[in-house]
Order: sequence, then C-alpha cells, then structure tokens
Amino acid sequence: MTRLTSLLPAQAQRLAELECPDFTTRPWVTGPALAQRRVTIVSSAGLVVRGENPFRGRDPDYRAIPSDTKPDELLISHISINFDRTGFQEDRNVVFPLDRLNELAADGVIGSVARTHYSFMGATDPVEMELHARELAGRLKQDQVDAVILSPV
Amino acid sequence: MSALGHYLEEEGIATVAISLIRPQTENAKPPRALWVPFELGRPFGPPNDPAFQKRVILAALRLLEREIGPVVIEDFPDDDPRAQPDPAWRPPQVPMATADGTAETPAARLEAEIPMLQGAHDRWLAQHGRTTVGLSAMPIVDCGRYVADWVRGKAPSSPREGFSAVLILRFAVDDLKAYYLEAAAAGSGKPSSRQLGDWFWNETAAGAAIVALRAIGLASADERLKAVLGNFMVPAARVAMMS
Repeated sequence: MTRLTSLLPAQAQRLAELECPDFTTRPWVTGPALAQRRVTIVSSAGLVVRGENPFRGRDPDYRAIPSDTKPDELLISHISINFDRTGFQEDRNVVFPLDRLNELAADGVIGSVARTHYSFMGATDPVEMELHARELAGRLKQDQVDAVILSPV
Repeated sequence: MSALGHYLEEEGIATVAISLIRPQTENAKPPRALWVPFELGRPFGPPNDPAFQKRVILAALRLLEREIGPVVIEDFPDDDPRAQPDPAWRPPQVPMATADGTAETPAARLEAEIPMLQGAHDRWLAQHGRTTVGLSAMPIVDCGRYVADWVRGKAPSSPREGFSAVLILRFAVDDLKAYYLEAAAAGSGKPSSRQLGDWFWNETAAGAAIVALRAIGLASADERLKAVLGNFMVPAARVAMMS
C-alpha cells in the first residue's frame, strides 16, 4: 500500500513534499457524459514501445503508444527503482489499463478509446515538460480526445 | 502527474489523475484525482484482476462528470488483494555457484547463475506470452556479462550509439531484475512484490552483484558514476534493510 506509513520516513517525506509548480490558475474543463467521451491514457512511467529509444534519465518529452501496441511491446524505462515493477511485468493494465478502456468502450460506458496513448518520464521537472504537454494537447484535440486519465507509478 | 493535468486542462482537455501519494496531490491541487491505497508502481491495483482494475478506472473516470470543482480528490476504498504474501509460493532454486570453486567472485557467480533461471523464465514466457526484458536490447546472457564486467572493474564501453556506458549499465541492470523477477513469478503462485524482492536481494548472485555495483559507485571519484550507481541500482528501502 502506498500509505505513507508503508514507506521509509525519508522517502515518504520527500514524496509528500515533492515540489510542484505554484500555479496561479485553476483550470476546470467540463464535457459530455462519460458515455460520449473519447479517452486516452497519459502515463508518467517512462513507457516506451520496444525498439524505440528508452527515456534517457530525465528526458522532458513524451513517447506515443499506439492503441494496437501488443502487450509484449511495452517496456518501462523510468529512472526510479523505488516502485514495484512486478505488477506491470505480470499485467500491463496495472500501469497502462488499455484493455480495461477497450472493455469499457465495448460496454458503452465510455464513448471510445483514443487512437494513441502517451507516456512521460515522471521524475522529470514538470516545468521542463510544460512545452511538450501543451504540444501534446494539440495532438489530443486532433484525435478528438476529451478525457485523459493520468497514470503515475 | 498533477502538473501534466494542469497543463492539459489549461489547453482545454479534461483530466483525471490517479494519485498514489495523497499529500503530494493535495499540495499540487490537480483538477481531479482519485487516491488509491496501492503500492508505488501499481496505480490500477492487482495484476490479472480485471474486475478490480475496472472498478479503479471507473471510479477515476466518473470524477470527470462532477459539476463542481476544482479541486476534486476522492479516495478509492479497497486495498490491493495482491499486496498480501502467498505462503505457498516457492522461488526458483539458485544454488550459490561456488561449490566447485570456479565461481567465487560476485561477477562470476552472476554469470553462472543466469542460465539456471532459463527454465523458469521459459515457463514465464509460455504462461504470459510476454516479457518486459529489453531496455538494453542485449540478450540476457550479454546483459549479465556487461554487468559482470562492471563489477570486475573493467568499465566496458557502450555497445549502443547515442547511449553512454553508464546508461547501458542501468538498462542492463533493469533487464536483469526483470528477467529474474519474471522467472521467480512463473507458475501458479501469486507472490507479493515484497516476497519477490526478498528473494532477489537476499538469495541471488544477481542481487549481490548489483549491491557490489552500488558500493563501487559510492567509492568512485566520478560524480556521475557515484550518482547513477548510488541511486539507481538498489532500491532505497533495500539499502535501509541492509544497513
């Protein structure tokens, strides 16, 4: 469990106090009911498709993960070693719940699943990710995405 | 993660974040977040439990339909059932490869040990149809040799253009861990991450070799080597247990 009491005191304190930009705006975007939404996953696990370059340290950019990526093609290249990877090894949905999204779409609970999903490397300074994140928003709009589920590790 | 949500939302796209560290999320104030009581690395909970995972993702997505915000932070109520140890699980046997006196160093023991895991890893592949080994793009035996050469103090050059030798070392170590932990989880047992980690760090030559790498890094005058080997080889929780 990631209750802070289950972590080392120093690690718990570092994670709890991790610096986040002091934003001056509080954006809030509304939209249609879930059954009409097009959903994409944006992970911060440093996910890459096998054969592509893994994240090098704290690269601030992102990688695209097409919806037809096979389970065997997805790798974690996150720099941190202080999180469990055995769950992901057994089942990618622990980190990247694409199969679950496809099922929810098939059941009509969500409208559809985006054509492409994305991953950043979460240990990177968020300020350095900003330009890439804003550029990604343009791509998401092109794919008609109006709902993002952000998945950390 | 919360910052990414902020940027995307400012650009007009609705987001909901899974939160693993609640105080961090409270501090970052994303538009919407679902805190989950799972260990780091498992944002959607237990592996191979589609019903549970679906409850998590749906609880998160439902926050997109809230009319009042920001900030919305809700808690997922249930713990990960796979966080519990499986008393019936048995790890693969890796007899310390020192009996015949030919493999006494940590590096030699590592190289002798890898082939012993092949049967278990083949079973893993047959069972799951996938592996997460592959960051270094080297066959696992070559990963072992590359890591062993570092342990021997040889500082081998990078086999891959555009990637430093130290970066390849980090990828090779990640590949070794993935290979071992997949091999250890082959079969019908449902070991917890703690059980798998205890086996890897306490009983395998690979674990001992990686601990040796960390010590080499910490003793190095090269600040980059010290940082990479010191921080990205042995998990902080293991370092604490060993000291």
